[in-house]
Amino acid sequence: MKPTIAIREPVVDDLMDQTEKSLTEDQIEKVINEVIDQETGVRLQTYVNTCIHCGLCSEACHWFLSNDRDVSFAPVTKVKDTIWVMLEKKGKVDAAFIKRCSQIAHTECNVCRRCGMYCPFGIDIAYMMLVVRRICAKLEMVPLYLQDTVNSHAATMNQMWVKPDEWIDTLQWQEEEGQGYVPSARLPLEKEGAEIMYSVIGPEPKFLAQLLGNITVIMNVAGCDWTMPATAGWDNSNMAMYSGDFEVMARVERLHHETAQRLKVKKIVMGECGHAFRGGEYDGPTWLGWMSPPIPIVHAVAFYYDLLVSGRIKIAKKVEGPVTAQYPCNIIRNAGLGSKLRYIMNAVCEDFVDLVPNDRHAFCCNAGGDTINCGPPWKKIRVQSARLQSENFKRTGAHTIVTPCHNCHSGVEDIVDGYKLGMHVKFFSELLIEAMEIPEDLQA
Amino acid sequence: MINSESWDWECNKKMVADTSKWKDQFEDVWEPYISSDGEKIASIVKVGEGEFNIAVNKETWGEEPFEKIWYSRFSPDGRLTALITKEMEWTMAVDGKTWEEMYEYIWDTKFSANGKVIAATTKQDGVYAITVDEKTWECPVKLESIASHIISPDGKTAVAIAQTVATAEADVNAFTKGAWSVIVNGKPWNDNYVDVYGLVISADGKNIAAEYRNSICEYGILVNGTPWNEKFGCTWEPVFNPTNSDEISVPVRQEGQWFLATNGRIVWDKGFVNLMYQTYSPDGSNIAAGVAPSFAKWTIAVNGQPWSTTFNECILKPSFSPDGRKVVAIAKDSGNWFLVVDGTVLGEGCDNVWPPAFSPNGDKVIYKIEKNGKFAVAVNGEVKDKEYEALWNPVVSPDGTKVMICGVKGGKYYRKVVLLSDI
Repeated sequence: MKPTIAIREPVVDDLMDQTEKSLTEDQIEKVINEVIDQETGVRLQTYVNTCIHCGLCSEACHWFLSNDRDVSFAPVTKVKDTIWVMLEKKGKVDAAFIKRCSQIAHTECNVCRRCGMYCPFGIDIAYMMLVVRRICAKLEMVPLYLQDTVNSHAATMNQMWVKPDEWIDTLQWQEEEGQGYVPSARLPLEKEGAEIMYSVIGPEPKFLAQLLGNITVIMNVAGCDWTMPATAGWDNSNMAMYSGDFEVMARVERLHHETAQRLKVKKIVMGECGHAFRGGEYDGPTWLGWMSPPIPIVHAVAFYYDLLVSGRIKIAKKVEGPVTAQYPCNIIRNAGLGSKLRYIMNAVCEDFVDLVPNDRHAFCCNAGGDTINCGPPWKKIRVQSARLQSENFKRTGAHTIVTPCHNCHSGVEDIVDGYKLGMHVKFFSELLIEAMEIPEDLQA
Repeated sequence: MINSESWDWECNKKMVADTSKWKDQFEDVWEPYISSDGEKIASIVKVGEGEFNIAVNKETWGEEPFEKIWYSRFSPDGRLTALITKEMEWTMAVDGKTWEEMYEYIWDTKFSANGKVIAATTKQDGVYAITVDEKTWECPVKLESIASHIISPDGKTAVAIAQTVATAEADVNAFTKGAWSVIVNGKPWNDNYVDVYGLVISADGKNIAAEYRNSICEYGILVNGTPWNEKFGCTWEPVFNPTNSDEISVPVRQEGQWFLATNGRIVWDKGFVNLMYQTYSPDGSNIAAGVAPSFAKWTIAVNGQPWSTTFNECILKPSFSPDGRKVVAIAKDSGNWFLVVDGTVLGEGCDNVWPPAFSPNGDKVIYKIEKNGKFAVAVNGEVKDKEYEALWNPVVSPDGTKVMICGVKGGKYYRKVVLLSDI
């Protein structure tokens, strides 16, 4: 099978370049066959044998569509140029090939699963890309910045090298910030038996601490019985799931769930992050042998929906002007929260302008699947390949794009910046804080 | 061990404190904790803007409030500890008296088994350490961070997983060479590792073990700094035999299945989808563990043999009765929590179940449950003592004839001792 001609600007990724030099063909063959034989099964064989190479998946892919229908970005090509070759050659491929596989699977595919919806056979192409990622990860062929976040997960159980004291100190600081709105507000640490354990992803204490202050206000106004852990296990994100280091993924997810079990809570409510929901709800539990999380996980969108529908949070003044929202793949296409997202957007915005296409058919922000964590070397092509979604945003005429997902948030900021859209990018909680009513007896 | 023989084991019921009055007395009252003997109940209370104190029974910790207080916990010997701040510096307070030294930060309080030794992680001038009874480690290398720490039951050994090498941002090579190690009473082990997890100390305090990771799928076990020869695809935390500190058992993953290995050798020939929480019997002769014989079917295996009853959500760490004859575990199935003894489910499903206390011969398990927002005591699956707003784990007397039940009803905190035969 001839490789596809792919024209790309050279990218320097120190770790991938270094690994390319050190990998031997024996190592590669051994790892590929180990993964294929021990970690895949009928599912992969069925997908590979069922695909008729029709290419209909291409029409679903924002990489293909944003790059002037360049076939080298088509999902079917990504499969053809990676796992098919590995299977056909029974693992006898070289280091340059593995490097190209990592480039395709880690940096040019968001495993957003839109293509699978458009495949006439429903083939989950993203799954095949994750198998490629797994092989690459076991060969240590992972983009540098993505590997660094995985290393952080492995060493600290959070993705941003946040030290234990920094975590607790930040929560205590943000509790005070929340008290600026609601003087009696409390961010309860380590409260056994609370109804809710609230968990977030590493960037919140590192760069976006105000989100912790926001949730302190929201929880207190809504009268929730909640807690946050003062130990590792607070970070619900999981870059190892996407790099292909499933052992670290499982350890991180296990600790997250066991922290909730230790605190004897009834549910985990997680902040606005899509991939973290996927890791906590599906990938982590599946690897660990759980059908579903032992302590149920509720994504922020569903949580805010419940608070608004039940009247525990009331809206005092809706946000003015046109506002749109990105639909995070992992909570919308893969978990069906689209109508709840539209409900909460309409609840807090005077003029919610929906994206076209929307809901399960919405396009990825192109940061998902950890492509954004591949870091600065890969940013240019990532933003270039989000052209389609930039046009979709532009058509809404919105002044603000709401992103109930951290990867989406960073990715959409890059889109807004790269395509000079002149829009603000906000989390839903930031809008809610602006719009919600703080009852008089709780006010400062 | 906690010496519970000196506790008041007379059969009686006494109201220790009317905690409902605290709500009128203070601006805010946090969740309460009680001492091991049940004689004291304490809550962090807000006494003014940026002013906190601790209420213990009918008193507070003196007149002078603190700027912040958190993590109030009773030591097993009955002393009340909390982490406090004064003029933006932190320290430990014990029964209201603060340690002399102040720190940039202090957290993760730990106690020896008898509660006489108190340790915590501290940070001062950017250097991390363990401080044991006010004495801070003087470590020959700068500790860049401390991930976790434990102390031996006798309190003589404090051990931490710490970062011993500073690494620059995204310096994956430095990370791969090993930047983490185990620090024992301030002295690092000779080698650094990519990652270290699952730190344990043997019951006699003589040996220390941990998991370590060399590369993406190469995990092993370290014992006193020496690695096992065997390597595995993944491991979970090791456990020492309580009667033989030279024996360590650990779940290990090979070719996609989990096995139990003892001292490097696989001892349970049957593999599982997952295997966790291995637990020795008190005499060290048997091992029980949580296992999934197939996907989403969880149970307990004793010496490798799974119970026939399985649960579709999860199972927690098992425990043995004092005589080692019975094994009990908390399991979740279809949204409900259950207590299970030797594979038999006791009673109805609950919203929460806590680990039980045993009668001496193991014929009774006494435990705390939660249902519909209220707490109760259950005995062998039968709900006996209901409608608590807060409840702590029942404790069986040293002679095995009585049980202490401590809980809050109608806003009042009660401690009562009843005959086991009467419950």
